[in-house]
Amino acid sequence: MRNFTYSRATSVEDALQGIRENPQATVIAGGTNLIDRLKGYLEPSSHLIDISRLQMQQIESLSTGGLRIGALASNTAVADHPIVRRDYPLLSRAILSGASQQIRNVATVGGNLLQRTRCSYFYDPAFPCNKRNPGSGCSARTGINRLHAILGASEHCVAVHPSDFCVALAALDAVVEVERLSGKREIPITEFHRLPENNPEQDTHLQPGELITAVILPNLPVAKFGVYLKLRDRTSYSFALVSVAAAIDVRDGQVETVRIALGGVAHKPWRAMVAEQFLQSQPATLDSFKQAADLALQEAQPLEHNDFKIEMAKRAIERALMASVQKGAEK
Amino acid sequence: MSNVIGKSVNRYEGQAKVTGSATYSAEHQISGLVYGALITATIAKGRIKTLDLQQAQASPGVLYIATAENMPQLTPAANDWFSSHIYEPRYPLADAEIHYGGQIIGLVVADTPERARHAATLVQVEYESETPVINPKDASFITAPRTPGLEQGNTATALATAEYQIEATYTTAMELHAMMEPHAIIAHWQENQLTIYEHTQWVMLHQKTYATLFNLPLDQVRVISLYTGGAFGAKVFPWPHSILCTAVAREIQRPLKVVLPRQQVTTIAGNRSATEQHLKIGATSDGQLVAIEHHAKSYTSPVNPTWAENCIGVTPVMYTAENLSLKQEIAILNMGMPTYMRAPGEVPGMFALESAMDELAWKLGLDPVKFRLKNATTLHQRTKLPFSAKHFAECLQLGAEQFGWKDRPQHPRSLTREGKWVGWGMAAATFPGWRAMASATVRLFPDGTALVLTSANDMGTGAYTMITISAAETLNLPVENIQIEIGDSRLPNGGIAGGSMMTATLAPAVVNACQELLKQVNAKTATEALQVLRGSGQPFLEATGSSQPGMEGQKWAFQSWGAHFCEVEVDEPLGRVQITRWVSVMNIGRVLNAKAAASQVRGAVIMGIGDGLMEECQLDPHLGLPVVYDLATYHIPVHADIPRIQVSFVGEPDLNFNSVGARGCGEIGITGVSAAIANAIYHATGKRLRDLPLTPDKLLST
Repeated sequence: MRNFTYSRATSVEDALQGIRENPQATVIAGGTNLIDRLKGYLEPSSHLIDISRLQMQQIESLSTGGLRIGALASNTAVADHPIVRRDYPLLSRAILSGASQQIRNVATVGGNLLQRTRCSYFYDPAFPCNKRNPGSGCSARTGINRLHAILGASEHCVAVHPSDFCVALAALDAVVEVERLSGKREIPITEFHRLPENNPEQDTHLQPGELITAVILPNLPVAKFGVYLKLRDRTSYSFALVSVAAAIDVRDGQVETVRIALGGVAHKPWRAMVAEQFLQSQPATLDSFKQAADLALQEAQPLEHNDFKIEMAKRAIERALMASVQKGAEK
Repeated sequence: MSNVIGKSVNRYEGQAKVTGSATYSAEHQISGLVYGALITATIAKGRIKTLDLQQAQASPGVLYIATAENMPQLTPAANDWFSSHIYEPRYPLADAEIHYGGQIIGLVVADTPERARHAATLVQVEYESETPVINPKDASFITAPRTPGLEQGNTATALATAEYQIEATYTTAMELHAMMEPHAIIAHWQENQLTIYEHTQWVMLHQKTYATLFNLPLDQVRVISLYTGGAFGAKVFPWPHSILCTAVAREIQRPLKVVLPRQQVTTIAGNRSATEQHLKIGATSDGQLVAIEHHAKSYTSPVNPTWAENCIGVTPVMYTAENLSLKQEIAILNMGMPTYMRAPGEVPGMFALESAMDELAWKLGLDPVKFRLKNATTLHQRTKLPFSAKHFAECLQLGAEQFGWKDRPQHPRSLTREGKWVGWGMAAATFPGWRAMASATVRLFPDGTALVLTSANDMGTGAYTMITISAAETLNLPVENIQIEIGDSRLPNGGIAGGSMMTATLAPAVVNACQELLKQVNAKTATEALQVLRGSGQPFLEATGSSQPGMEGQKWAFQSWGAHFCEVEVDEPLGRVQITRWVSVMNIGRVLNAKAAASQVRGAVIMGIGDGLMEECQLDPHLGLPVVYDLATYHIPVHADIPRIQVSFVGEPDLNFNSVGARGCGEIGITGVSAAIANAIYHATGKRLRDLPLTPDKLLST
């Protein structure tokens, strides 16, 4: 670990001041991923600004419906929150399918959004990696890439985003609230993370000087029927081979509303918009779901070791949609 | 007799472990301690051109940097399993050559572990790089020089004319020991006295080895290994980092500690080689085996070019076939050294053999339990010796009964539950009975307590408790009255905890010591001995006992036996396998501690489930560095992967083997586990999976 300096922010404004004054500064809250990266010499940061004592833990209902989740709410607090469990059960399931209880107790909402890929090549400085060392090359593209991207990758990076939480957020039309000294702005979750393109060192569209203050969940009745399906190599404490967050509302056998997002397949949580558009007003049958799944993966480009993910993702979409239909029928 | 043998006795050191007072190797507090961090190679083949240490030397807290330039000469180890033995025959920093990724190329010593680690990253290395051989397809194979094959009868003809036969290829993955405690050592020189704080499975050989390497008389070397946090074969001998740490500690005349980060445990402290096995088995139409051909390949490192993961050792002990063809080949890859890992050879060997037996049973239309009963051998087909106290048939029969095997549908894809296919599978288990030489000293005190002293070690297996039980039984004292001191080379030779040998080796020595003590005062029990002792005014009575193998190995083959039965649920479209039931029945001679023995088997089954479903280390095909290297990337089972595991034991004490009748329990439980799973998946789905680990993608693509 390189030496770094540390300061504790006394207010949001103080934190914003800090990151504007020192472009080398990194904000730390739970630190569950950042500390690993610091230990591994992956972070250039020379200064940490600790925001964990700021009052951003609140989870509150909005007058317009929906929920505002403070950026410092712990994963555990969000997963256990009664309104989350009632109105956005897939979000709760997604969180609980990731990490361990101990990590979830410490990890925060904002940190979850900003965690970085777990690509093994990124974590070992002995390997070339464009995300860690821009211009050095992508070792995973021609290396061991069973866990890597099948959608939206570039020749510069085939890493996947590791979060389960963000996949659920993508299905829920969540909005990320960020603050800078000059004011606030809101970023739809699907536009928060980015694809690698020519600069995989950038994971998100968060601008220098900006701090995540909250995640807003809109009022979304279909979310009540949502499911999160995570496929992986063991039953707990492993990242997704493929995951699906899906919610569907069926009226008279026709699809009324549908949301589908995939994890483990791309550099960002992958909202399957084409599949959703196809399903709109289709009969809610397995056959429709199969066609939708094919559409969701039609752009997929496998690497040497991960072509199984295409079929796996299709089947997971079908299974998740069927499970959501079932859930809706039980209500 | 107090009749404690065979009961369930709680772990002697349990409280020390859960309260944190158990001191592991890295935790010894030594004044003046300094810390080492390894510099490791980032290429897998070539040599070091230049090593620029300037920045590292100038880094705060740095005291010393060892490289090939200043590495002191050491005396060669004999590597004879007796006088001295090290894992990697090449000494650390022997020269500028690089043989595998992660190889040690230097050691930085600093006043804190953080400063040492940081300085190690500042070393600039320029390599002359060569293309490493990483892919087995690029390797050339030779017959393994230290792994005898076997040709008996005419296997080719017998197979060609057999009424039924199967032929299949099975592969297993490179695996990691993944023990909880990473490798750690403290080397402390005081004048010419060397104290080594290091976990080891064999305290006395460790002492002899350090004495040899550093040219010291034995009484100037002390090895302390009070607790070992798991080893599985990777903590028997010193590794290069241990030798380097000790050499540098002498140079700088400071106590020095080296703890390996998990990634270095992966690259420089052993692994289980991947294997590829070709099996051909022929049988008559009524299910009598006529021929087995078992040809295996495994991989090794340039630094240990003769090592083989001996897959064919199990074949002549399991089933009778007049015609046998066994062959083991190896190829050298630019990888760190493979070594012993829990049931080395038996684990992949039994996966292939027991999968192939299942395939043939289906082809013959025979129940796999009956097929095995029919073909089980009474003689070891290599030595032609009869097996002592063999109860393989009872393992199969009791296991089948406990599991309800008779209700098994005779066709694959017959059972479903909640939309998933359900399948039942079984496989045999086996492991040799081995023992070595050991001694123990026992003292009886006037207050009615006894102290047993022996250099044995406990790597979590229950050795402390086993010694307690052996002494309590012989002296007829409550187990609470027995105190133990182990893990110190100043104590009598406690033998090796490897090859499932510790109980079979040490328990008879402890019993002999206790009997000797009673004999000294003509007593039958400790109560009688205590009367004499109290009358005598002496501080304690003391006796030493030993035990070693005799000529019994010329009359008998000693082997343990078992059978696993399991149920799986397969979510076929998603490739998910969940194991829902497990029954294991083992025949290991006498069970000394029912609780510990069942836990050993249960733990081994869990490790076997890891072997079957998820464990795989992978090296990058270009650089040869691992891309699976820690407990997050190397998947071992979590609780949710494991069903209730029912364990039973059958058979009588094997008194041909030793006076206690115990054959050992550490490894047998893992053998056959992955085959039982693959066989159950076949029964569930009709899909035969032959390439471990059976991850969801394998199911999806079959």
